[in-house]
Amino acid sequence: MMHVITGGSGSGKSRFAEQQILDLGPARRIYIATMHPYDEESFARIRRHRAMRAEKEFDTRECYTGLKELEIPSGANVLLECMSNLTANEMFEEQGAGENTVEEILQGIHHLRQQAANVVVVTNEICSDGIEYDPVTVQYQKYLGQINQAMAAMADRVTEVVYGIPLDLKGGAVG
Amino acid sequence: MKMVIGGAFQGKHSYAERTFGITEGWADGMNCSLEDIFTCSGMKHFHEYVKLLVREKKDYQEFVKELFRRNPEICIVCNEIGYGVVPMDKFDREYREAVGRICEQLASGSDQVHRVMCGIGTVIKGGDGRC
Repeated sequence: MMHVITGGSGSGKSRFAEQQILDLGPARRIYIATMHPYDEESFARIRRHRAMRAEKEFDTRECYTGLKELEIPSGANVLLECMSNLTANEMFEEQGAGENTVEEILQGIHHLRQQAANVVVVTNEICSDGIEYDPVTVQYQKYLGQINQAMAAMADRVTEVVYGIPLDLKGGAVG
Repeated sequence: MKMVIGGAFQGKHSYAERTFGITEGWADGMNCSLEDIFTCSGMKHFHEYVKLLVREKKDYQEFVKELFRRNPEICIVCNEIGYGVVPMDKFDREYREAVGRICEQLASGSDQVHRVMCGIGTVIKGGDGRC
């Protein structure tokens, strides 16, 4: 099963996503962290998320680039958070995929699905503020938009979370 | 408590007036006092008040608790502002995050949440999905 969870910033996506994994039962839980911390603000954000995950028994794997190389225990329930960070890393980090970002990440998702029992991916809506950004940022929005569409097409379920309220975009409530 | 949320300039306030029959007693987040918020029937531009809380580095958890305690029937009208690229400016990031966190808590305690686009509401909590 694959479940894509999207929404705006500060919408309660993470909490909802963690609950989806818990609802899947006691199988091994893997959390794939994609945010590369670089300043106090990002460390604080990571601390907030770690505190939320405490006692939920997730094994954390850091993956900033190269998702398609990541090996995880077979049959685990996997939460990947967040696709917006992974996309930025692949685009902008030295060892990243650059212009092959979309293909590399989608191959990574396929590889993950082959290994895991269930995959939950948290992504982000970043294209609805009407601001015209510089060409590099527009490229980033475009890549993430393409990845989101491709993931949604392969997913069993797609949910948008609005201030903690889940709205079914595809698949409907099963849990 | 009721919430009406959505993008800017979607007719949220008049939707709230119409839908909940609140024609007077509105506070405006652009210029109201804290006391106004606790005594009004409805509050528009809620996000602007959140901006003030962030600017003045106020404890917004305390504000949320106080709001539930003192004005549990309030109708809150608030812009959704979290659907863009992470802002470059630190204050903008904090403001965006605060609106999200506060509205998440308020939505959790609200009987109804309506999301408005082009003046048309969708009941996303506490209804049959139509309005």
